[in-house]
Amino acid sequence: MVAEPSSAAIRDIAVKDNICTTEWNTTCSSAMLKNFKSPYDATAVRLLRNSGARIVGKTNLDEFGMGSLNIHSIHGHVINPHDVAERRSTGGSSGGSAAAVASGMCFAALGTDTGGSIRLPASYCGIYGLKPSYGLVSRHGVVAYADSLDCVGVLAASAQNVHEVFGIISQHDYHDPSSASTGRRDRVRDLLQQRFANSFGTSLHGLRVGVPQEYFPAELSPAIAHSTRIVLSRMQRLGATIVPMSLPSTPYALSAYYVIASAEASSNLARYDGVRYGAYVPPDATTDVTRAAHIYALTRTQNFGAEVRKRILLGTYALTAEAFDNYFLQAQRVRKRIIDDFDGAFALPNVRRVVEEEDTLLATSPSVDILVHPSAIRTAPKLDEDSGRLDAYVQDVLTVPASLAGLPALSVPAGTGDDGWPVGVSLVGQWGSDELLLEVAEVLDKHVSSSQPDEPHR
Amino acid sequence: MRRVSFAPHIWRRYASNYHVPGWETVIGLEVHAQLKSQAKLFSGPFSGGLDDAPNTRVSPFDAAFPGTLPIVNVQCVESAVRMALALGASVQQKSTFDRKHYFYPDLPAGYQITQKYAPIALGGFLALHKSERRVRIKQLQLEQDTGKSRSEAESSYHAIDLNRAGNALVEIVSEPDMRSAEEAADYVRTLQALIRNLGVGDAQMEDGSFRCDANISVHREGQTFGTRCEIKNLNSVKSLVVAISTEVARHVETLLAGSAVMQETRGFDEMRTQTYPLRSKEDAPDYRYLPDANLPPLLIDQGFLEHMRQTMPELPDAIEARLQRQYSLSQLTAKALAGSSTGYSINGTDVQYFERAAQYGHPTSVANWLVNELRPLLQSDFASSSISPERIGLLAELVHSGEITYASGRTVLHDMVQHPSDERPADVVARLGLQKVSNASHLEELCKRCLEELPAEVEKYRTGNERVLNKMVGYVRRLSQGTAEPAAITNMLRSLLANEK
Repeated sequence: MVAEPSSAAIRDIAVKDNICTTEWNTTCSSAMLKNFKSPYDATAVRLLRNSGARIVGKTNLDEFGMGSLNIHSIHGHVINPHDVAERRSTGGSSGGSAAAVASGMCFAALGTDTGGSIRLPASYCGIYGLKPSYGLVSRHGVVAYADSLDCVGVLAASAQNVHEVFGIISQHDYHDPSSASTGRRDRVRDLLQQRFANSFGTSLHGLRVGVPQEYFPAELSPAIAHSTRIVLSRMQRLGATIVPMSLPSTPYALSAYYVIASAEASSNLARYDGVRYGAYVPPDATTDVTRAAHIYALTRTQNFGAEVRKRILLGTYALTAEAFDNYFLQAQRVRKRIIDDFDGAFALPNVRRVVEEEDTLLATSPSVDILVHPSAIRTAPKLDEDSGRLDAYVQDVLTVPASLAGLPALSVPAGTGDDGWPVGVSLVGQWGSDELLLEVAEVLDKHVSSSQPDEPHR
Repeated sequence: MRRVSFAPHIWRRYASNYHVPGWETVIGLEVHAQLKSQAKLFSGPFSGGLDDAPNTRVSPFDAAFPGTLPIVNVQCVESAVRMALALGASVQQKSTFDRKHYFYPDLPAGYQITQKYAPIALGGFLALHKSERRVRIKQLQLEQDTGKSRSEAESSYHAIDLNRAGNALVEIVSEPDMRSAEEAADYVRTLQALIRNLGVGDAQMEDGSFRCDANISVHREGQTFGTRCEIKNLNSVKSLVVAISTEVARHVETLLAGSAVMQETRGFDEMRTQTYPLRSKEDAPDYRYLPDANLPPLLIDQGFLEHMRQTMPELPDAIEARLQRQYSLSQLTAKALAGSSTGYSINGTDVQYFERAAQYGHPTSVANWLVNELRPLLQSDFASSSISPERIGLLAELVHSGEITYASGRTVLHDMVQHPSDERPADVVARLGLQKVSNASHLEELCKRCLEELPAEVEKYRTGNERVLNKMVGYVRRLSQGTAEPAAITNMLRSLLANEK
């Protein structure tokens, strides 16, 4: 289905429409930026162009990256190419990028992932999707939704293809103040080399895989749990050790995520006021024109979609003087605990934390190299059901913890569910172990293409 | 920016009447000083100047283009650290940036990046120059400037210029330690001189590179502080003094009438010389401060601080002490040269000018000619005059050595100011015929002429009126066109008058 590239030099890459390109508008699927054309290329786009890639087009998304079904867009819904007749969702917000890859329109696509926006569409569309470690891929030129969470990542039909594109765009960038330094990149590479002297080849011998119980909630469809167990059993047969574990702060992640993401969104989207962007809505006789904000409100009300307006209002409230401590600061504390949970679980130290803390983190046991859990609680929903329900948020339970902790997470295809639609399983690693996740996925890939049916892991 | 000159009677009234007996005034100042830099605080390469055409010094970041990110400009951090060190403030090892949100057309991102929760420096003090008071500093913080917006007359449009948007500011917040408008003015002038000496900014209120808000309250002596009001955007020292004085009067009148002062933010109407309400405490905006997730904490280590300390320019207090020690200048003259009491000196250039001039003339005399004679003619720093330090030094020496009179020296100086040239002061003296009347017979001649032409005064002197002698001395000086020395004239007149008896 996916066209095999004839030459390594020229790759066709699709780019999510919240990543700036000088070719084409960068609309973010919003009426606000309908006519916005960036004067510069995003760093990731520039690196790809420099490597010889061809940017073939821009892809649909939920407005400004806010949504899990790719239904909040001025360009319309994205239909899952797995079976167009069924009119199912691709997931969001990188739905257009996932659909472009799944339908063979490109070698790979750039997406962005703030709380699961790459992993969920990858899962629903049966492809690979990597949300890299925060800071490895430059955000310069990525229209901000939530700065502390936004990551640029890759969707492709194989782990190898993801790997290739990730290798090109994972570079330190002076233009992004949160871009990881080369020193930090080297350090984590050294630590990984100490842990795994040789690459895996065809086995996963020595790999410790954690299975966090909190990632199997009541809402999880049994078929998805089954698919996840099959992946685990495959890993075990390849030599990995499976370690059941608990990440106790996980249930609080969802609320913390929505407070932080919405608060940052309310700030980042303040610039769209009708003065420079958006179809300006002039005040009428009833408008109180004594304050600029009253005039801006007309443009913002008309040009932002319902989901974006909802999150701006939520985030604005979370930052008011009366709510700040109970919402924003509380959410920051939860975020810290989630990071602590992960750091306690991984054998690898978190190199983003200060040096003196590392020794104690190393000593915690039982420690693992990666975590495995379902990417989504179900297969792709039909576009006509579910839209706008709270379910859309419940789904994020599985993906937001890695976002809050800035960890790499790779969704890999794991067969199909009862309904014959794709299921995805996520591999999550310590900060900087993106390559490890990709290597493990590549080993699994080789195994699947050469072996007999699997038994689920018990 | 418009300069406002107050009618003299208004100025006199407020300059002398701001202290009301039985009441005490409490003033704290918030100053925003622009930092000079090639680049803006978080974006390169532009930093907007006053002469640039509107919207020509704007990067995509400054205009809040989607996808742009802030990168801290180290030069601005260095400037802020120098200011902190000069104020004796404690530079924080770790400071952070926060976003302050409000909607206004000259704020393209909808937020200003500032340092709300962890500013770059805490504490410190500024020693005032006209009193013994040390005003404590609460904190210094780095922040972005906004653009400028202007309402077009008879139009519903606002014109926006983003040249200034994103320029680096350091906000210096004082404790409420000042007790009069005069002290507030002293604080501003002292701080301006400090900033200029450090070379980190121009600190001109007129062009907006130094802006001031004042917090003011009054209370009866011996009681606790009263309710304060903040007066925004005072753009000259005179405005500051008049605004504080009128505000103090308003508070006292309000309290005497049995009413309470409401906590509020006020503006100052320069034309009417009165403050007016902008917003009450209840209307205070909620800025929804948010830690900026893009900018990592600013980490300043001891090595960096030590480097800053070692490369600090000489500060006004140190310069004053050195001038007094090295050149035997009076404290007053040293202050005037160091710029701390006048605010004229930029980066210590006045001191450099003096030190060069002092190579050609007696230092105390040179300093006197600069501070008391040249300054009133220039009303600016010495280097901006067309007169070389050498010429001033030689002129001062001509007077100091007694070759010409002080009055002749003034005439030469005026000539030098009016006719820029390299002509040596001695040649100017010759050209203007100002050589001193040293010839005793010539002086006697002039004095005799005086006695003949002023018979009435001679008569008065004889009847015991000693004071009339001053008039006669002045008369002889005019006859000599200033080349005769008053002391010599007095002696000659006395001896002639005594001989006539």
